[in-house]
Amino acid sequence: MHQFGYVQAASVSDAVLLLNEPGLQSRPLAGGTDILLQLKHEPQFCDRLVDISQLTELHRIEQRDGWVHIGAAATFAEVLENPIISATAPVLAQACATVGATQIRNMGTLGGNVANAAACADSLPALICLDATAKILTPAGEEEIPLSEFVTGPNCTSLPSGGLLVSLSYPIPEEGSRSAFLKLGRRNAMAISRLTVAALGRVDAQRVITEARLVTGSATPRIERLAAVEQTLVGKKPTAELYRQAAAVTVDEMIRLAGYRWSSEFKVPALTAMTERVFAQVFDHKEVR
Amino acid sequence: MKLQFNLNGKLVETEASADATLLSVLRDNLGLTGTKEGCGVGECGACSVLLDGRLVNSCLTLAAQVNGHKVITIEGMCLPDGSPNDLQQAFIEVGAVQCGFCTPGMVLAGEALLAENARPSRLEIRTAIAGNLCRCTGYQQIVDAIQITAQKRQEKKTDA
Amino acid sequence: MPELQFIGKPINRVDALEKVLGTAKYVGDYVLPGMLIARTLRSTVPHARIVRVDVSPALKIPGILAAITCEDFVDQGRFGYPIADMFMLAYQRVRYAGDGIACVAAENETALKLGLDAIVVELEELPGVFDAMTALDPQAPIIGETPRDAPDFPRGNLVTHYIVRQGDAQSELATCPVILEEDYTTLHQEHAYIETEGALAIPAPEMSGVTVYAPCQSPFLNRGNLMRTLGLGEDNVRVIQPHVGGAFGGKDDLMYQISGQVAKLALLTGRPVKMILSREESIIASYKRDAMHMHIKLGAETDGKLRACAVNATVDSGAYTSITPFTSWRSSIHAMGPYRYDACAVDTDAVYTNNGYAGAFRGFGNPEVCFAIEQAMDELALKLKIDPIELRLKNCLRDGDTTAHGQKLGDDVALVECLEQVRKLSDWKRKHTLYSRLSTEPAKPGELRRGIGVAAVFHGMSLGAEGADFAVSTLEINPDFTLTLTSGLTDYGTGSRTAFTLIAAETLGLNPDRIVMPRPDTDQSHDSGPTVASRGTILGGNATRIAAERIGSQLNQAAADLLGCRVDQITRHGELFISPREEPVTFENVVEHAHKMGLTLYSRGRWSPPEIHWSMETGQGKPYFAYHYGTQVAEVLVDSGTGKVEVTGIWAVHNTGTIIFPQGAYGQLYGGITQGLGYALMERVDYDKGYIQATNFDEYLIPTALDVPDIEGVFVQDSFPAGPYGAKNLGEPGMVPAAPAILNAITNATGRRIRSLPANLERVLLGKDLLKEGSSTACKLGLK
Repeated sequence: MHQFGYVQAASVSDAVLLLNEPGLQSRPLAGGTDILLQLKHEPQFCDRLVDISQLTELHRIEQRDGWVHIGAAATFAEVLENPIISATAPVLAQACATVGATQIRNMGTLGGNVANAAACADSLPALICLDATAKILTPAGEEEIPLSEFVTGPNCTSLPSGGLLVSLSYPIPEEGSRSAFLKLGRRNAMAISRLTVAALGRVDAQRVITEARLVTGSATPRIERLAAVEQTLVGKKPTAELYRQAAAVTVDEMIRLAGYRWSSEFKVPALTAMTERVFAQVFDHKEVR
Repeated sequence: MKLQFNLNGKLVETEASADATLLSVLRDNLGLTGTKEGCGVGECGACSVLLDGRLVNSCLTLAAQVNGHKVITIEGMCLPDGSPNDLQQAFIEVGAVQCGFCTPGMVLAGEALLAENARPSRLEIRTAIAGNLCRCTGYQQIVDAIQITAQKRQEKKTDA
Repeated sequence: MPELQFIGKPINRVDALEKVLGTAKYVGDYVLPGMLIARTLRSTVPHARIVRVDVSPALKIPGILAAITCEDFVDQGRFGYPIADMFMLAYQRVRYAGDGIACVAAENETALKLGLDAIVVELEELPGVFDAMTALDPQAPIIGETPRDAPDFPRGNLVTHYIVRQGDAQSELATCPVILEEDYTTLHQEHAYIETEGALAIPAPEMSGVTVYAPCQSPFLNRGNLMRTLGLGEDNVRVIQPHVGGAFGGKDDLMYQISGQVAKLALLTGRPVKMILSREESIIASYKRDAMHMHIKLGAETDGKLRACAVNATVDSGAYTSITPFTSWRSSIHAMGPYRYDACAVDTDAVYTNNGYAGAFRGFGNPEVCFAIEQAMDELALKLKIDPIELRLKNCLRDGDTTAHGQKLGDDVALVECLEQVRKLSDWKRKHTLYSRLSTEPAKPGELRRGIGVAAVFHGMSLGAEGADFAVSTLEINPDFTLTLTSGLTDYGTGSRTAFTLIAAETLGLNPDRIVMPRPDTDQSHDSGPTVASRGTILGGNATRIAAERIGSQLNQAAADLLGCRVDQITRHGELFISPREEPVTFENVVEHAHKMGLTLYSRGRWSPPEIHWSMETGQGKPYFAYHYGTQVAEVLVDSGTGKVEVTGIWAVHNTGTIIFPQGAYGQLYGGITQGLGYALMERVDYDKGYIQATNFDEYLIPTALDVPDIEGVFVQDSFPAGPYGAKNLGEPGMVPAAPAILNAITNATGRRIRSLPANLERVLLGKDLLKEGSSTACKLGLK
């Protein structure tokens, strides 16, 4: 007697059929690092796993018409090793590099990380900073939805039952953009993120900020770009004092969105420091240790 | 369900439940006990194996997922005559082995690193084995063993 | 001393080969025909009266072959040393969340789970004690078995009370111009061996008994417990220790329960029975390093000369005493640190609570008190504006000094040398001056600050006045000219097998490859007490040396007879025995001749340390026959923006005497320091109303390879005459000073003093820990 069944999808459309087979609760299996643990703690979580990890099209990373498309089953290792990612979105490569350790990066997938939508998921702040969209496939057809709308809260997405996340895409940031990702954990590997920040920015020829994006992780109920912070920066020249102002707005936003909680006494100063640092890295080319 | 995969260079066939992990199939079905269970949740790396050349935690890999693929365990590391390979020998000589429970995973992590980075720095070595917990050695001699092996392999290459 | 051939030379660990090949068998790797699997049903509440346990419904489940409770053991399976207060399975009460209640043996996993679910357990919850500081309140519920006014310890919740008395500390303190008075607390620590506990019992009808394979630390203690609780004789029980995947002190008590449970199930079913704990079960059920609260008052002159010390400590022993009577005694002996005082008073109470239970863990009571006293010394140094190493040099013990216990030390007190060497090695003077100056300026936002800190340690060798102390080794020459060496002391990765082999080889002038040490086996080796408290190298090594000398003398007799000369005329060259006329004969020749002469080529060596004595009433005596001394310096980089601490360098100088097995010694040092680093920065065993919060390695964090720097270790190898070839011990003291060195470094970097472990992100950034909201039972009690 086994706890759950397994079937390998022959293609993406086959996967959707299998996920919607009546009479069974089926879930996609990509890397397995989240779902197998889920099944350990909650044996009734699903009846059957549909293996999509073997579908090559779901591992593809390609650049097309000003966008980068990443197959949902691309592993963290595949993403961070890919030259398209390191050229267009260092923030995402850096985020993937902080996940777990070698083994988890070889197994865990971007799609799995997004679909699981843990509050501390490392890829989400980076992807949302990139204004990424998610492509969902259901029996009814294909749907593209901004990632910031797809992830609705901790462990909550708008993925319909029987739906399959097939790819994540982001528009390639304009020439001259720089991006960075910082993670704070309790140790230097295999650590759940205490806080993360993902930032992107661009200055014009006069060194005036023309674009600024900031997303925090493990700080707010929804992982989203903080417009109030970004507005503090755009149109100004980057200085340490400006970053300090932006950081102050960041923690105000955190409190406004999450309320003042037991952890806020720590997160306020820590997030302040991390926000200042990530902007220094983006605008001053200052590499952080 | 029936499984067929390449294990340490040989084709093996076995029957396993759909929900069986690769770790349990290796240990219980195939009797290869070199791969260990340390935590069951993919945190300690004692269960590490190479799947198509990539280091993975076999406790979080379904056996079904390796069907048709290539798996290497610690039992596949030694030389054809059963003697330790150069990395394993280095582990012995520099004192990188104490209780030995993390050792199979560490050796595989070292091999996986050297397959893609022939000249790793100490930091790169530490990063490569960061998913393998050791409670005995403090890691230093393990890093030494991998570094020395890398150097020796490079020397051999330049000699050749 | 003539040049050593093997000792101190690079040599391969004797069992490393099978470990790197993956062929070494740990107990979880054993598979036998007809083998059953067993699991224990454990309490999910911290304190309750057992109203009823009925295992009969489990026995009705197909595939369940046996189910047991405490009633299946003699005297309800009572065991424990030095105080027998625990049971093979809980009797009358469960006293911690995780306490084993019943146990089943099944054909497969499915039946096992159904069987455990079927057992009927009725518990009546009782009020518990969750704060050690309240355990002695008159209203506190009694967790132990004896009343508050019992004649001997334990008395109510007071397990033991130990004192050290030198002069009148309070009067002395009253006249000191400088006083430092602070509280320090440590948390419990989880051993986190990568191999969890487990055992395999094989019924042995041919000996009317059972053989148990158990990775326990003390096979003879295990056998003794099994004999007593199963009602069997010495000839009916055999305990064999397979490869052990790490122990660090943690594979005693719980291992004996597991051994007893599988043994009983094997005897009942007539089939082999194996139990392997999951990681969650291991963390929940196993004992920990005790948590301690220490109140220290130091009194000194303005020039830094220490005059008096008073320490009041409370040790959380948890639900059972385990070996806490010994560890808390060691805590009290070491609480004042390796310094000279005019007066000293230590009072240590070990108390019962329902916070799991505490037992042996590397350091054996010293890491807790060293953490406190070495920070207190640092605080004093800061107060007096004296360099921390200078303050220690001014006050540390030296050759011939009398300790606070009244013990006159020998000429092996190398603390000064350790301090001076570690100061040079770490570039202390330059760094400490620089970092101290910088930390007086307030940190710029998000600034990274460096700090450097030092800690000194002394560590009494072996059990001391804790218990009967001896070890036995045997040596036999086999027909194929190999030698079989046994020891009652076990190697669980520590390297003692290699060390003993080298000692035997050196003594006999034979190649180490000739010497085989089988795995510890109560049928083959001789009781040598538990392998704890850094007994291995000294006791086991000396016993080995004696056994080797005895066989050596037989060989010399035979060689002299063969060569026609006197024993004192023989010279050795490698393995050859050479006569005065320069005739060589081989080892094989000598052995064959010895057989012809009828000599017995088997010997036994027993060694006990020199006399020690301790008075519990006066708090004075000679607690250990000698001490290990050492110092460590840690350098940190502290992120003042996030509270993250990177340990960027560690220098360790230890007075180890002769190093027998160099790679093993360095490995023990690095490993011990790494455990100390985890203890200092990231390891947390939190009991919330008796519920342990972190139950696997995702939440119980131990250092990864990226969390530890390259460590520089130096051994001061002044020969120690009482040790084999001049060796002292190292296993434990390497671990002890790491945490205080790191915490002192954090203070040097930030100006903030952290007196509670661990120095996590919140404490470093805010100066306090933050309590997480949520239910205490939210931890995953994954006991099924």
